[in-house]
Amino acid sequence: MLGPPRVSDGTKPSCVAGKAGASEGALEAIINPLLLYGGCALGAVGVAFALPKRGASLAVIGGIIAAAAAGLVVMGLTFAALPSEGLGEGGLLEGNFGALPNIYFHVFGVLALASGLRMITHPRPVYAALYFILTIVASSGLYVLLSAEFMAFALIIIYAGAILITYLFVIMLATQAPSEEEPDRLSEYDAVAREPVAAAAVGFVLLAVITTLMFSGLPTLERSRSEASPEPALELFHGKWEPDLTESLRAAELIDITETIAIDSGLAELDLSAAPVTVLVTSPVGDSRRVEIPMELIPEGFVATNVERVGMNLLAEHPMTIEIAGVILLMAMLGATVLARKQVDIEEAEKERQARRLGLLEEGA
Amino acid sequence: MDLLGTDVLSTLTMAQGAFPEAMPGGTLAHYLFISAGMFCLGLIGFMTRRNLIIMFLCTELMFQAAGLALIAFGRYHMNFDGQTFVIFVLTIAAAEAAMGLALVVLLFRKRESLSGEDWSELKG
Repeated sequence: MLGPPRVSDGTKPSCVAGKAGASEGALEAIINPLLLYGGCALGAVGVAFALPKRGASLAVIGGIIAAAAAGLVVMGLTFAALPSEGLGEGGLLEGNFGALPNIYFHVFGVLALASGLRMITHPRPVYAALYFILTIVASSGLYVLLSAEFMAFALIIIYAGAILITYLFVIMLATQAPSEEEPDRLSEYDAVAREPVAAAAVGFVLLAVITTLMFSGLPTLERSRSEASPEPALELFHGKWEPDLTESLRAAELIDITETIAIDSGLAELDLSAAPVTVLVTSPVGDSRRVEIPMELIPEGFVATNVERVGMNLLAEHPMTIEIAGVILLMAMLGATVLARKQVDIEEAEKERQARRLGLLEEGA
Repeated sequence: MDLLGTDVLSTLTMAQGAFPEAMPGGTLAHYLFISAGMFCLGLIGFMTRRNLIIMFLCTELMFQAAGLALIAFGRYHMNFDGQTFVIFVLTIAAAEAAMGLALVVLLFRKRESLSGEDWSELKG
């Protein structure tokens, strides 16, 4: 059996001394390696059974085995996440704070994996596409749990609404019509999978390696709080809250009628990281002081929403990438049109007949 | 954190604002495990299935896995680059679907079959 991988501390200078013990036995801290590799092996057997083949269908047995494998690993992860002594301090579990994963995570995660499995094992392409839509919905649920609301809805609209519909159209366009005597007959290439055992083995060895690397390497990955910078976005959207806040502060007589919130070339002086929240106000003579904002005066729209933050990130930091993405989409559109164009040969006589009918040619010309 | 009311606090959490909260619903490892599982399922499907359309669907499943990992890492690092890059992943997936499906339609017209093995003599 494979032992837990050693994380060399020399290559990870960011590893804090107190976490050295955590990174040594990192995999055990997250999940028992036996459980992980056992789950992967079981999953490989299940998927190999579930893939379509001629003869007796073993899809149900395979599905049950694969579900058992996924359940084994999720159970291991859940028990490792249970708060206990020594775990709350260590590495990856710092992002956990001893919290048990909630029920929605399990529902969406299991739904995503199960419908993904059914997608690759269902012999009929239309059903595979429909199961893929289920995977999309489940992963957009996971996006909501990760508080990426905009991307969750964009995912459903773009994937389930546009891309998958294109797939369904093509499936219906490019499938042979069923014959009269056997309407349920599957074509040979749908009914029999190619090398199911080898592919499942390779895929799950890959899964085992990836998860081992993930679970053993992550504890040394520090959460970089310095990258969390809420203030710039807040300041950029100061127009949303600044008039309201000024008005309510004046009404509460916390600032004079002449004083204003300091907005220097569009940037509001606002310190969110300080608690209580303070704001820098200036008077016409040039004095400035910090004023605490009482809780009940914090206006609506004070904090930028997810859509605003994503939009700001997209347009402010990746403007060139958007242009390139637009060019790629244009090229794809042109390419698809050119590739799928059907060349129709119309004979000269037919052309002339149609032109005559439309009145483009004179009678008897 | 208690200094802000629950309304503002929930808005902050929703907008991934100034106060880093625990990832709701588990650790980063949970999401990465789901992502790795989806990727490997897509890979197995791509290797085993012989229908061209299902092979393309399996690449879409792998795109999904990459998107989930990007969002989870973006949440972990408390910035928005992950979500921004998922937009580009969606763009590439849409472009790939358009081109790939046009090719599938073209190939189907030539041979009246969707089997990938019919085209195995194409060497490039």
